[in-house]
Amino acid sequence: MGSAVNHVRPWLAATALAALVAPPAHAQRADASLACRATATAHVYDCVLTLSRGGKPLQGAGVVVGVDMPSMPLAHSVAPVTATPGAAPGEYHFRLALEMHGEWAVKLRLSGPVRDQLILHYDFDGTRASPVRR
Amino acid sequence: MDGYTVGVLTNIGLFSFLALSAYVLLVAGELSFGQQAFFGVGAYTAGVATAMFGWPLAAATAAAMALGGLAALLVGLSTLRLRGLYFAMATLAAAEMARILFELLRWQREVNGERVGPDGAQGFRGIRWVFEHGMEAGGFLALIYGVLSVLVTALLVLERSRLGATLRAVGLDPEQAAAVGIDIHRIKLGVVSAAGAVAALGGALYAHHNTYVEPRNFDIMLGVHALAYALVGGLGTALGPLLGVALDVGVLEGSQVFAGYRMIVFGGVVALLLVVRPRGLLDEQIVNALTRRGWGLR
Repeated sequence: MGSAVNHVRPWLAATALAALVAPPAHAQRADASLACRATATAHVYDCVLTLSRGGKPLQGAGVVVGVDMPSMPLAHSVAPVTATPGAAPGEYHFRLALEMHGEWAVKLRLSGPVRDQLILHYDFDGTRASPVRR
Repeated sequence: MDGYTVGVLTNIGLFSFLALSAYVLLVAGELSFGQQAFFGVGAYTAGVATAMFGWPLAAATAAAMALGGLAALLVGLSTLRLRGLYFAMATLAAAEMARILFELLRWQREVNGERVGPDGAQGFRGIRWVFEHGMEAGGFLALIYGVLSVLVTALLVLERSRLGATLRAVGLDPEQAAAVGIDIHRIKLGVVSAAGAVAALGGALYAHHNTYVEPRNFDIMLGVHALAYALVGGLGTALGPLLGVALDVGVLEGSQVFAGYRMIVFGGVVALLLVVRPRGLLDEQIVNALTRRGWGLR
């Protein structure tokens, strides 16, 4: 128990310090678009993400992709995946294994040249994913 | 810790606030289907405070709790004269009204060249405090569990106190409690308000974890799950709701054994438990027995 407390204490201290004193580092915003198509396995999609910043392809970014259902937040724990750079500048590839069809909020956690989290809403059906328009 | 484990633990932690909010009301004898509304009030309030006005997270969270508590107090003032199912339906109606208000809420201002703020059904993007302050997912997880630990400890201390005993008396037999001079209405108003503040606290953390909120995040499914977690985990101790969340989000969902059928499995577990253990796994009998053996769950 004591070691667990010792393990968590530095995190808590760093967090508390960040909450109180750290100045904000305003992120430079990135833009993203997504194209996904269904694979032969049910609810599994191959996706190509295109990232840009200021109209130019964003290269060298670390991208971790997570998903959540907007109508049932926190209830689905789909494992996040790390995107790999594609052949074209600003392109990243990843495979998503969802639990069901429907609208999902795709969360892109970016690191490297841009540190941010982008949220894209896509409707995943039996063949592909389409951006949600409201 | 890998990203998946951090994600599951974060979901468990954030859901626990909502489950605890439903739990304190259940202990006081009230069934609410509307705690998601105050979760939403907290999320929007804290998001507005940090993203639009540059408040520190701690101050934004305090404002969220104050507004969540006030909103719950207003709902309580108009609904607490109702009993049982009628109160439950009134809380559901109030929560749906709140969700529709979120859909109507459009209030944006320019921050660093970007329009930021609630944009009706489009949601509220750009709640970036966590990223702008260099906080990692593990650090935010530690923050969630740090705050949750303080809350649970406070509830455990409260349950051992005279006020805690009064609360349980009100919940178990309000007529008898009134007969010995307890002001039932005042106690319940206090509980409703505190439960709203707890839900709002969770909502404030949720908004900053997600960086984005939208009205649909706060629909009835969220409230039903929170209630189910409290009922499954048990009403004997504040640790009960945490057990309920951990069972569903941690074991059923986290193990991925049931995949897309997990909601059906969880629904069956809730139905079964309501028959065989109507006050949950850690009910008062179990907690008293464990406490006598020195486990000290309360």
